[in-house]
Amino acid sequence: MAIPARPALPALDVSPALRTLILGLGGLVGSIALLLLIGLVLTQTEETFTWSGYWQQVVSGLAQGAIFASLALALVLIYRATDILNFAQGEMATFTTYVAWSLMNHMSYWPAFALALVFAFIFGAAIERTIIRPVEHRPEIVVVIVTIGLLIALNGLVAWIWNPEVKAFDSPFPNRTTEIGGVVVAIQDLGVLAVTLVTVVVLWAFFRFTTLGLVMRAVANSQDASRLLGVRVGWMLALGWGLAAVLGAIAGMMAAPSVFLDPNMMLIILIYSFAAAVLGGIDSPVGAIVGGLVLGVLINLLGTYVDFIGGELRLPAALVVLLIVLLIRPQGLFGHKVVRRV
Amino acid sequence: MKKLLLALLGVGAALTVSLPGAFARTEATQAPDAVPGITRNSIVIGGTFPLSGIASLYAPIPRGMEAYFNYINARRDKKTGQRGIYGRKIVWKFYDDGYNPGQTVQLTNKLILDDKVFATVGALGTEPVLAVRPLHQRAKVPQVLVSTGASYWGLEYKKYPWTSGWQTDYVAEGRVYARWILQNAPTSKIGVFYQNDDYGKDYLRGLEQGLGARKSLIVLKLSYELSDSSYASQLSRLRQSGADTLVLFTTPTPTARAIGTAKAVGWNPKQIVINSVSATDQVMAGAARAAGQDYVNGAVSTGYLKNNTNPKYRNDGAIKAYRRIMANYGPDGININNTFYYYGVAKAYDFVKLMYLAGRNPTRASLMAATAKMNWVNPYALKGVRIKTSRTDRFPIDQGKVIRYNNGSWNEISALYKGR
Amino acid sequence: MNVVRRNLGRAIGPALFVAAVVLVILMPRFMSEFRLLQFTLVAIYVIALLGLNILTGYSGQISLGHGALVGIGAYTGALLSLGRPGLEALQLSPPSWLPLGDGMTPIWTIPIAALVTGLFGILIGIPALRLGGISLALATLAIAVSFPIVMKRFAETTGGGGGINLNLPETPFGWDISTRNWLFYEAWVTAAIVFLAAWLLTRGRIGRAWRAIRDGDVAATSSGVNPALYKTFAFGVSAAFAGAAGALLAIETAYVNPDTFPVSISILLLASAVIGGLGSLAGAVFGALLYVFLPIYAQKPPVFSFEFADQAPGVVFGVFLIVIMLLLPGGVAHFFRALGGAIRTGRFRRRSRTSELA
Repeated sequence: MAIPARPALPALDVSPALRTLILGLGGLVGSIALLLLIGLVLTQTEETFTWSGYWQQVVSGLAQGAIFASLALALVLIYRATDILNFAQGEMATFTTYVAWSLMNHMSYWPAFALALVFAFIFGAAIERTIIRPVEHRPEIVVVIVTIGLLIALNGLVAWIWNPEVKAFDSPFPNRTTEIGGVVVAIQDLGVLAVTLVTVVVLWAFFRFTTLGLVMRAVANSQDASRLLGVRVGWMLALGWGLAAVLGAIAGMMAAPSVFLDPNMMLIILIYSFAAAVLGGIDSPVGAIVGGLVLGVLINLLGTYVDFIGGELRLPAALVVLLIVLLIRPQGLFGHKVVRRV
Repeated sequence: MKKLLLALLGVGAALTVSLPGAFARTEATQAPDAVPGITRNSIVIGGTFPLSGIASLYAPIPRGMEAYFNYINARRDKKTGQRGIYGRKIVWKFYDDGYNPGQTVQLTNKLILDDKVFATVGALGTEPVLAVRPLHQRAKVPQVLVSTGASYWGLEYKKYPWTSGWQTDYVAEGRVYARWILQNAPTSKIGVFYQNDDYGKDYLRGLEQGLGARKSLIVLKLSYELSDSSYASQLSRLRQSGADTLVLFTTPTPTARAIGTAKAVGWNPKQIVINSVSATDQVMAGAARAAGQDYVNGAVSTGYLKNNTNPKYRNDGAIKAYRRIMANYGPDGININNTFYYYGVAKAYDFVKLMYLAGRNPTRASLMAATAKMNWVNPYALKGVRIKTSRTDRFPIDQGKVIRYNNGSWNEISALYKGR
Repeated sequence: MNVVRRNLGRAIGPALFVAAVVLVILMPRFMSEFRLLQFTLVAIYVIALLGLNILTGYSGQISLGHGALVGIGAYTGALLSLGRPGLEALQLSPPSWLPLGDGMTPIWTIPIAALVTGLFGILIGIPALRLGGISLALATLAIAVSFPIVMKRFAETTGGGGGINLNLPETPFGWDISTRNWLFYEAWVTAAIVFLAAWLLTRGRIGRAWRAIRDGDVAATSSGVNPALYKTFAFGVSAAFAGAAGALLAIETAYVNPDTFPVSISILLLASAVIGGLGSLAGAVFGALLYVFLPIYAQKPPVFSFEFADQAPGVVFGVFLIVIMLLLPGGVAHFFRALGGAIRTGRFRRRSRTSELA
C-alpha cells in the first residue's frame, strides 16, 4: 500500500492557517522577484525588449495558466480521490461548455453559467457511478483505456449533437483593455484570473470548513479506513468526480470566449493541464495551480524571447523544461514522495 | 459463465465490424478493354475528406457535391434527354481520412483498388493530396479538381500529368492583397499573422512577391501553430510593432480567434485583411460576436464564388438553383448558408462539365485531356469569372474580385482581377 | 475422456498457429490486391504492437508515445533509402553531420531503423526509470505531441509538412513477383522474425524478470532482479520493434509526413494493444487486425443523414473501448485463452470458493 511520506517542509510553530498565509505570501513575493530577475536578464540579451511588453506577456500567460490550473485542479481532485488519471476531463468540460452555449441561447449569461455547473456536477457524478465504478479496482491500464474511450466518445458526441462549425461563446467580461501602470491588460484576462481565484478559495473553504469536505478528504486518504468509519465511500467518489467536472466546466467556459467553441478546443488544453498537474505534483492541489500558472507564463516567455524556439517549438520546449524538473524532483514541485512498502 | 457469454457476444460483434470484408471474394472482373469505373449506366468516382477531427469543418464539401450529383442523376439533360451524364449515373463514394495523410493513402488505395473508381475528385488538403499524388501517377488514375489552393497542381502538370487543381491558388491571392494595399493604402504598416505551414507560407510569399520593392511595408510577421491554445502573445507583439493593418493568413477557426484576441489585447487596426478560405459567414459572425460588428466591418478579402448569403443575390438564378438542389437532393436538417456546401455544388458543376468534355465514351486519358481544354462560365462563380485552362495554363480559376465585409455580407468592391 | 480433452486443448494453440502461417503464405493467391495491402498493414502493426505489448504488458510501463517511435523508424527508413543524393533531388538539405549515405535498398533500412529507434528507446528508458507511472505517461505523451512539431521544424531534413515521397521498391534479384506481393511477404517475414524474437524473450529469464517487475519493483529486487536494467531493456526492445514497423510502413505507403503520426496514433495503438490483449503475444495479432480494419469498415456508406454518418464512427469506437474494458479487461487474447482453458479442463463454471482457497 502506498503511504505518502511526510511533507518536506519543516513544521513552523504557528497555527496552520497562519502558516499557509506566510508561505503563500512568500511564494507570491518570490515569484514577482523571479519575474523581475528574468526581465532584467532579458533587457541585456534582447534588443527589442520593453518592460510593458514583458509584463503583457506575463499577464496573458497567467490568464492562460489560470485555465490550465482549473483543469489541472480537476485532474488532481480525481487522482487524489480515486487514483485515476481522467483523460476525458477536457472532453467532459467541452461537453458542458456546449451545454452552456445552448442554455445561453435561451437565457442570460450568469443563470446559464450556474445551470451549466449543476449539469456538470450531475454529469461527472453519473459518469463515475456508471462507467468508472466497474473498473475502479482493475489494473491501471484498463482504467486508462476506459477514460480514453470516454474522451473519444464525448468528442464525437459533441460534434454530432452541435455540428463542428466554429461558434462564438459569450464572455461575462467586456472585450476591452485597461491600463495598469503602463501595461495594457485585457479585462477578459483579469476576469479569468478573478474567477479562478474565487473558485480556488471556495473549493479550499469547502474542504477545510465543511463536514462533507472533511469526509471527502478522509476518503481520499484511505478508502478502507473511511468505510470502517461508516462513510458511504461510493457516493463520496461520485461527489469528487462531480466537483472535478464543475472545475472542468469553469475552465471550459473561461477558455471558450477566446478559443471559440469547437469540438477539439480542450484537447490541447488537456495536454497542458496534464503537464501542469504533474509538474505541480499529481496529488497536490496547490501544485496544480502553481504548475498551471508557471506553465502559462513559461510558454509565452519562451515563445517570445527565445529565438531558436520561436513559435514552433514552444510546446516541446515547455515540455522539456517540465521533464527536467521532474527528473530532478520526480514527485513534482509540491507532490509527496510515494514510499512503497511491500 | 454469463460473463464469458457476454464477452463472446462482444468479441463477436467486434470481429463482425472489423472483418466483414476481410475474406470477401474479389468482384467479378470487367471485360478487359473496359474503363475502370465506367459502365454503360454509371460513373464511379471517389474522394477523401476530413469528415471528423481537426479539419471537420470542411465536411460539408463532399455533401454539397453529393447533392449536385444526385440532382444530375435525377434531371434530364436538355440536349440529350438523358439522366446523368450521357445516360450514366454518377456514383459518388467518399471516405473520412481525418486529415491524416497516412489514412489518405490507405483510403485512396481502397478507392482505386477496391471501389475501382474512374477518378478521384476534389480531395481535400494539401498534405493529403501530396501523399497520394505519386500513387495516382503510378496507377494512371485522374486526381482532378483537388480542394486545396497550393500552387503545385497548376505548376507541376508536366511532372504529374494525372493531377489537376481547381480553386485560385494562395500565392496568386497573396499578390492580389499586395496590389490592393499598394493601390488603396500605400502607407500602411502591415502586420501579418500566418499559419506556420504551406498554407500560410504560400500566402505570405505571394504578399511579399506582390509588394516587391515595397516589402518593407510589412513591419512584423508572426506565425502560430495549430497546437497553440492562445494567440495573445503574438497579437500583442503585433500591436506593439505599430502596425495598422492586420493581414490574416489563417484557416477559419484561428481567424475568428485571432480577431477576437486582437480586440482583447487592445489593438484596433485600421484595416483587416482576411484570406478567402476563411472569409466565410460563420467565421465573420463568430468574430463579430466576440469583437463587435464595428470591429469586423470593413474587412477585405477576395472571392471567386458568389457570396450565397448576400441579400443582393437573393433572386440570382444560381443561388436559387443552389437552394433548390440542397433542399431536394441534399441531407436533411443542415444549414445551407454554410459556404462549404456552396463550394461543393460549384465544384460538382465543373466536374460534370468536365465529364461532358471527356466525351461520350470517356476514358481516364480523355478526362485528363479535358482538364487542359476547360473554357466555360460557372453560374455559381462571380460574374465574369471564366473556368479556363489551356495547354500551358492549368489554373482553372485564376480570377476573382476584392470583396469587403459589412454587416453580414461580402460585397464586391473591385473589378475582376486576374491572379495569374 | 479427460485425457483426450486435455490433449485437444493443448493442441489448439499450436494448431491455430500453423493454420495461420499457412493462411498467410497462401493469401496472395486468393485475395484481392486491396485486401492484400490491408494484410500487409496488419503485419506491420503486429510488429509495432508486439513492441508495445512487451513494454506495457510484460514490463508494466505505460507508454503514450509509441506512435512517435514508429514515426522515428519511418523517417529513418525513408532518409536512409533515399540517401543524401535522393534527398537533395527533392530540394532538401540535410545537415552534413547526419550519416545518410548514398541510399540503399529499402529492405536494409528495416534493421537499421530498428537499431536507431532502439537506441532512442534506451535513451528514453534511462530517465524513465526515475519517473513513476503517471510521470512516465506524461513523458511519453510529451514525446508523442512533440514528434510532429519537431519533424516540421527541421524541414530541411524531413521535408516538413509536405513530407517525403519515396519510390515503391523494386523486387530484388529480378524475381518474377509483383511489387504488392513482395511487400506482403517482406512484411510478414519480418513479422515472423520479430514474433520469434518476442517469443524467445518472453519465454525465458528476461520475460520472467519483466513479469516480476510489473508485479512489484520492490519484490522483484528482493528476488535478485535489477529493475533498472530490465526496464530500460524493455524500452529498447519495444522501440526497436516500433522502428522496424515504421521502416516497413515507409516502404509500404511510399510516403512519410509528420501528420501521419499525431498523438492520436499513439493512443490508438495503446488501445489496440489493450483490446488485443496485453501479456500475450497473440494479443498483438488481434490488436493489429482491429487497428487496420475497424476505421475503414466503421465508416458507413453515406446513406444516412449528415450528422449520423460522420460522427457516429467516433462515438461508436469510444463506446466500444469502454464496453470491451468492462467485459474483457484482459483483452481478446485473454478471452480465447480462458476459452481454451475451459475446453481443456471441461470446467465452464466459475471455480467454487473452496477450491480457490485449497
